[in-house]
Amino acid sequence: MTLLLENISLTIGDVLLVKSFTISIEAGEIVTLMGPSGCGKSSLLAYIAGDLSPPMYGNGHVTLDGVDLVYLPAEQRHVGRLFQDDLLFPHLTVGENLLFGVPRGSLSKRQHLVSEALASAQLEGFEDRDPGTLSSGQRARVALFRALMAKPKPCCWMSRSPSLTLSSGIRCGTMSLRICANAKFPHCWSPMTAKTHRRAGGFSASATRGT
Amino acid sequence: MKNFLNSFAGFLPLGILWLSPLAAGLVAVLYGALDEAAWLALFGHPQLWPGLALSMGTGTLSLIISALLAFWIVAGLYGGKLWPGTSGLMGGFLSLPHLAFAIGLGFLITPSGLLARVIGSVAAWAAPPQWVTTQDPYGFSLVTVLVLKEVPFLIWLISAHLARPEVTQMLNGHFRVSQSLGHGGASVWLRVFIPQILPRLKWPLLIVWFYGASVVDVALAIGPTQPPPLAVIIWSDLNNADPAVNARGTAGALFLTAALGCLVLLFMFLKRATLPSIWRFFTRGPSRRRTPRITSGALLLFFCAVYALVFAILCVMSIGTLWPYPDLFPSELRFSAWAQFLMSPAPLLNSLSLAVASTLAALALAVFWLETVPEKLDAVLLACGIAALALPSLLIADGQYLAFLRLGLNGTWLGVFLAHLTPVFAYVFIVLKGPYRAFDPRYRAVALGLNADNYRFWSVVKLAMMKPALAAAAAVGIGVSIAQYVPTQLIASGRLTTLPIEAVTLASGGSRPLMAVFALMLAVIPAFAFIIASRLGRKPL
Repeated sequence: MTLLLENISLTIGDVLLVKSFTISIEAGEIVTLMGPSGCGKSSLLAYIAGDLSPPMYGNGHVTLDGVDLVYLPAEQRHVGRLFQDDLLFPHLTVGENLLFGVPRGSLSKRQHLVSEALASAQLEGFEDRDPGTLSSGQRARVALFRALMAKPKPCCWMSRSPSLTLSSGIRCGTMSLRICANAKFPHCWSPMTAKTHRRAGGFSASATRGT
Repeated sequence: MKNFLNSFAGFLPLGILWLSPLAAGLVAVLYGALDEAAWLALFGHPQLWPGLALSMGTGTLSLIISALLAFWIVAGLYGGKLWPGTSGLMGGFLSLPHLAFAIGLGFLITPSGLLARVIGSVAAWAAPPQWVTTQDPYGFSLVTVLVLKEVPFLIWLISAHLARPEVTQMLNGHFRVSQSLGHGGASVWLRVFIPQILPRLKWPLLIVWFYGASVVDVALAIGPTQPPPLAVIIWSDLNNADPAVNARGTAGALFLTAALGCLVLLFMFLKRATLPSIWRFFTRGPSRRRTPRITSGALLLFFCAVYALVFAILCVMSIGTLWPYPDLFPSELRFSAWAQFLMSPAPLLNSLSLAVASTLAALALAVFWLETVPEKLDAVLLACGIAALALPSLLIADGQYLAFLRLGLNGTWLGVFLAHLTPVFAYVFIVLKGPYRAFDPRYRAVALGLNADNYRFWSVVKLAMMKPALAAAAAVGIGVSIAQYVPTQLIASGRLTTLPIEAVTLASGGSRPLMAVFALMLAVIPAFAFIIASRLGRKPL
């Protein structure tokens, strides 16, 4: 499976934010994009996921295994996303939050998946808990497993990292965008170290092979 | 001790002017319920059960349809190009009172009405069709009026909730995360948004439900007659000259309230029983169904068209002195009804004086409370306010009539003013509470640090910053007071006449142009109040 971002440009009003960004991500590869705040990382993620809203506009192709996602609505792209906030639904329990994105099927199988996810997240017995009673770390884990249980093809997430200074001397923003093609539950979430560095479309990108 | 005295001072005027009449009304109606003969007479009334079924049915059906349509429209339009203007449009629709709308819609849909005339001109009908449109035995026309009036109210409430920055931010986030989990727009609304918005709307929905089940003036204008809804049966008993029949009316008002209470209990039982299925629906997996943008837009257009038609009909009807079937336009246009209306200005002046006085009093009481009483006590006053609005106006007005009878207040302007203050204060407090309590107290510290005294801070800083909220609350107060029919008719006891009293009298068979004039005036005064409020609320350029 290959996720191909081809000639992607993003604009806000007359300002060109991202120009002709092209990158190809193979199955299992994790790419981290870094750049100063306001350079278009979140907007690129929104463009890939299909919810870039005015005044931001974008063009270019997002191809997953030869299928151009640009013409599909957000809910049909199977792009898993994690946001800076956990965004757990407050009216649903932890178990119901996890079930929310699991494709339809037999209830017992889906419940089994929830139990498995809770065990992997070291949250056994939390199924009926109100998300409001969880610590921020526990909430983040539930949000991660909720995203993975929806069986996304590529998975994108924003993460906060300490302020970085790029080699050019530009103060880097505190967020990075990571794209991981073929995210597999539950192996996607592992500490990464950047192996290669390259610069593309105004971002600094690094890639590593996931486990 | 000082705090206690301050709180007590805040409570005192409210206790005298608002809480005492409300409590006295409830006590008096409960005392009236001790009359055993009245209950026997009530249960012997041949139209009691059919009337009750009609009241419960029309109220519940109108609530369900209104809520469904309101959420359908909001789900389809939210975030789209039409959404920013929708809220303001709904606010404009709200200024047309139920009664005025019922009168206008009545002329549109009656068998000899404008709709039949348009169809008749194409189909060459010689006489009006034998359709039962208004005052149909099942109350469908009543439900139609209630739905057409309540949908804008609910959309306005939902849009006010969605416009809060923290809600907008949270729902936008939930929308994006749901989409990434494979849910289409309609699924997000059904499974994520509505379950979170509905609990916030429970009190307005209860008020809409009880209003629909106990409304009198609209039911008199357009509701069924044989049998009428229970509220109309009670109303006719309360206006009877025989004290024994009055007592049956009091028992009926209590019975209607108890029946509504039972209905709420039944709803809670059904909700509990169906909760597991509802929750299974929430989590059964993604659905790609998208939001109904086209039907929502079409529904919004339909509402705009109906309101524009009703307003246009009222305008033409007020000057159309000769407008026989099958003419599409009056054959004679005269301003005689307007002249007649201006020659006897008592209803207008009474309505205006009551509206202005009760609104100013409500504003003063609310500001006094908010300035002197700690925020933690707001919940108590809010509960009383919701009770004053949710309990059938028949019950409260009848109780106040019985209480004011002992005090000699019936038939006086003061008595009617106190009766108007009951709902007006409740609405004004609900509107004002949020913005007033959200006022950042650090502004006071800044002002005092700049050598301003307390009075100068309050008049120059706080009042100026609160002006939009005060103006909005005043407009709501004027609108509520102008539309009061039941308490005015009962407490005024025929010695004081107002716009809705005249409009209802004319709706039951009077001059059609004059009826349209009264209906228009019922709409024009609140509309002016809302326009002035919006201008006052606008920031200077």
